[in-house]
Amino acid sequence: MRGFGDYNPIAVFVSIMSCAGIAMFTLNPVMITLSLVGAVSLWFVRLGTHSMKSHLLYAAMLVVLPLLNMLMSHQGATPLLVINDNPITLESLVYGVLSAAMLVSVLYWFRSFSRIMTSDKILYLLGRISPRLALIVSMALRFIPHFGRQAKKIDNARRVMGLYREDNIVDSAKGKLSVFSILITWGLENGITTADSMTARGYGTAHRTSFSVFRFRRSDAVLTAATLLLLAGCVCGMAFGGGEYACYPVLSGIPWDVCSLIVYVCYGLMAMLPTIIEAEVKIRWHSLRSTI
Amino acid sequence: MAQLEIHNLSFSYSERAEDTVSDISFSVDKGQFVAVCGATGSGKTTLLRCLKRELTPFGDLRGEILLDGMPVSQLSDKDAACLIGYVMQRPEEQIVTDKVWHELAFGLENIGADQQSIRRRVAEMASYFGIEQWFDKSTAELSGGQKQLLNLASVMIMNPEVLILDEPTAQLDPIAAADFLSTIKRLNRDFALTVIIAEHRLEDIVPDCDRMLLMDKGRLLYFDSPGTAVKDLHSCSELLDSMPSAVRLYNELTPNDGDIPCPLDIRSGHEYISRVFDSRITALSLPEHRHSEHPALQFSECWFRYAKNSPDVLCGLDLTVYSGELFFILGGNGSGKTTALNAAAGLNRCYSGTIRVFGKKLSEYKNGSLYSGCLSMLTQDVQTVFLRPTVREELEEIELIEGFPFDFSAIMDMHPYDLSGGQQQMLALAKVLSAKPRLLLLDEPTKGLDAQSKKRTAELLRFLRSEGMTIVVVTHDVEFAAECADRCALFFRGEIISVDTPHRFFSENSFYTTAVSRMTRGIYTGAASLSDAVELCRANGRRDRE
Amino acid sequence: MIVIRNPAARKLLKILIPAVLMPLAIIIGVTLLEQKNYALVATVVAILSLLLFAAGYEKKKTGSRRMVIVAVMIALSVAGRFIPLFKPVTALTVITAVWLGGEAGFLVGAMSALISNFYFGQGPWTPFQMFVCGLIGLLAGALSAPLKKSRLLMVLYGFVSGIAYSLIMDIWTVLWYNSGFSAELYLAALLSATPHTALYAVSNVIFLWLLAKPFGEKLERVKVKYGV
Repeated sequence: MRGFGDYNPIAVFVSIMSCAGIAMFTLNPVMITLSLVGAVSLWFVRLGTHSMKSHLLYAAMLVVLPLLNMLMSHQGATPLLVINDNPITLESLVYGVLSAAMLVSVLYWFRSFSRIMTSDKILYLLGRISPRLALIVSMALRFIPHFGRQAKKIDNARRVMGLYREDNIVDSAKGKLSVFSILITWGLENGITTADSMTARGYGTAHRTSFSVFRFRRSDAVLTAATLLLLAGCVCGMAFGGGEYACYPVLSGIPWDVCSLIVYVCYGLMAMLPTIIEAEVKIRWHSLRSTI
Repeated sequence: MAQLEIHNLSFSYSERAEDTVSDISFSVDKGQFVAVCGATGSGKTTLLRCLKRELTPFGDLRGEILLDGMPVSQLSDKDAACLIGYVMQRPEEQIVTDKVWHELAFGLENIGADQQSIRRRVAEMASYFGIEQWFDKSTAELSGGQKQLLNLASVMIMNPEVLILDEPTAQLDPIAAADFLSTIKRLNRDFALTVIIAEHRLEDIVPDCDRMLLMDKGRLLYFDSPGTAVKDLHSCSELLDSMPSAVRLYNELTPNDGDIPCPLDIRSGHEYISRVFDSRITALSLPEHRHSEHPALQFSECWFRYAKNSPDVLCGLDLTVYSGELFFILGGNGSGKTTALNAAAGLNRCYSGTIRVFGKKLSEYKNGSLYSGCLSMLTQDVQTVFLRPTVREELEEIELIEGFPFDFSAIMDMHPYDLSGGQQQMLALAKVLSAKPRLLLLDEPTKGLDAQSKKRTAELLRFLRSEGMTIVVVTHDVEFAAECADRCALFFRGEIISVDTPHRFFSENSFYTTAVSRMTRGIYTGAASLSDAVELCRANGRRDRE
Repeated sequence: MIVIRNPAARKLLKILIPAVLMPLAIIIGVTLLEQKNYALVATVVAILSLLLFAAGYEKKKTGSRRMVIVAVMIALSVAGRFIPLFKPVTALTVITAVWLGGEAGFLVGAMSALISNFYFGQGPWTPFQMFVCGLIGLLAGALSAPLKKSRLLMVLYGFVSGIAYSLIMDIWTVLWYNSGFSAELYLAALLSATPHTALYAVSNVIFLWLLAKPFGEKLERVKVKYGV
């Protein structure tokens, strides 16, 4: 039993990228609403309601961006009021709201994505494309905390040797730069051991494979297939003009023809799938726990 | 047939240079445990690297290395990588990837193994080495001992037939080092794995090894069973200094003494003393240690923790170090001794209690005045202080103190990172001392040093004390403390448990003490360092032989 | 597989492909797609170029030492953020490119961008950002001879690429938000980012002015010592 985030990274990647990818390039109010609901609900179902402060920024975006757009863009045919000979139009307000909602929904998809896709999962994906690049990133990821600690050590060592004079910004900036300089030497010089250790363990003897602890299970295949099918539905529907929407010069009105309906249904399912999977597991756990 | 045969192996880094390894021949049978000993610069690392094809340095290699009768140079790339495993000194730098499981799999990925077999081998290795608990962790979170164990496991996953280790425990604390070595011994026993190991810490290895390979200036001195190899080392003092205490005692007192076998470990050392030497005089008469009445460093009721909710690391620490003293703080890992040193240097701020340096509170030293002409500290990782590309430029920046007992002239144009550990230590000390401190703090100054460099460090410390400097050393190295301390203190769970002169300190401790003290227990009292034991034995003289 | 024997031609192609491909594909995309999703096109091109690069890199044999150096430089450019007000990514990318070649430069730029986003969050801009950062390195590698010779040119390159990076990323943001280019929005985005951009460019300049040479010497020494 796995939550959405515990699915194979490929399945998760395909799912979130499809949801965000479609949302990024539409202005249709229905689809944007679906995207926003899907993205935000996934975040809350997965991570709960703590750290509410972080949501303020996004809420603010929903308010500020439409206002900004209204003030700056004067396209559209329906003026609401006129300031300094510049018309404020209904179209630009709607456009602002929709694109802000789109922006926020995509940002939420990516927020969840960043939370779920820890570095090892990204490396797994990268390893499918290029084992060698994945290795470089993996090495860099190992070096980063290592260097961070070493920088602290160097800083301390220099301080207790009396190389810093306090209360002086130029001096301390210089000090930081020489810490960085020492760090570079240290990193490069000691890297030779790492390189030796790689060679000693047969690096470069054959074409590298990329091992991973992530398995691609049947449920991963099901999720990926479902997402891709729905994605295909969306794209086909949109190719035949489903879900088209324009703000300028006048609001085009939300289309409800068959093609559009297909697009809405497909996209809605696709966007809600992560939340549904995540919620189902939560509920099942809840009931399981109560029986233990 | 021997598994590994080396015939007339010579190596020089370039055509013109002198041979670093010259004309060495020996052979190792499957499952043998070989200890390689030699002073720094004796060519042991070069020899070991020549045995591992991928790591053989650029240069001129002559002679033959056969693995199971096959010249190593003719092995396929994959076999060469797999059949000979190699573990190096620095645990941190040998790790390649960011996750423990990935590191384990790294070697198998390189030879193109498929997912399923990697999965199985990784699982096997993780269970054998007890890595399951930290299987998912980042490699950055591991302790030094865990890192080195991981390095070993990721070499063992390739199923090597010969395992070569070049000073694998030099950077580890004694407990982690002992654990690591016992794992090596277990591998050797359980799988008949051939082990060739170079080590500074011979106390743990010599009694268990099958063969010792002693090197001096690139030449093979002895290749023999340990009892025979170390019997007569009196003439090569550099090599002797790195030997276990029992061997050194034997060589000091009765080199190659006919039918008396050379003791290798504590037990046989004890037997040897009690059988050969009299015990009329049980203790040396030592002058009472006098310290001045001026405190140089004073902790009073110091409490410290790293973060609000973390446990206390210093728990009401009380300690006074008097000026002119050479003071050693000993204690286990995580007992807080380094934290205390950092607190004294103003790097850690205690939330309660005061620290005084020469009678003045730390907080009263403003604007770095603490570090100019008053207090200086050298942290564990000496490479952190090098900034310039040559020793010359490093030294031009500073003023070398008068009478510094080390000559840099031979290494002036070298890069500080190309120096040996001992030379780096000297250069770093020269830099630290140029601030002309009256109080010097040292954190693990002997870590990773060979016997020779340790000796030199001890000399330097004595010299500095004679100049009136106060020195506080934090260390795991009990032998080093016994040799040069005026007073020693045992740190435990954030406070000082006992303080005493080394003779009383080490003879009253039964576990946390030197090999010599354990060896002479029940025969003599108060012998902490080798020179004490030698003196006592000489004073007593031999028992009359029946 | 076509093999281009002339190294100069090969080098030229390496630069030309992304530099020409990119605007070309954008033009095609813009004329073909009705909704004028420039951002989509730009992203797709970026992803394709990155894949192309990855495929090329995967084929090559790179020694372990070279890989370690590149990994070290990537890690340094990410870890270097501990210095306040200072982002060494561009500077280190340029230095690596000049001393180790355009490919290494591309890697340092692109991978530093990717890894930085591990900490700051991935977004739809990630591929494009990787691509632009990589390009800065690739170009610096192509210009390595003059850059190595003149400290002034190196600093100028750092300054220009620092500003260009901000400008291009802002264009992308505006394109995405507005699904079409809007000069007003772009100006607003630029203005709001000015202090940031200026700081970034100036820190690049200072960094390269002070440290390009010593860092270059370090790389040079390691190259010799490692036999890279």
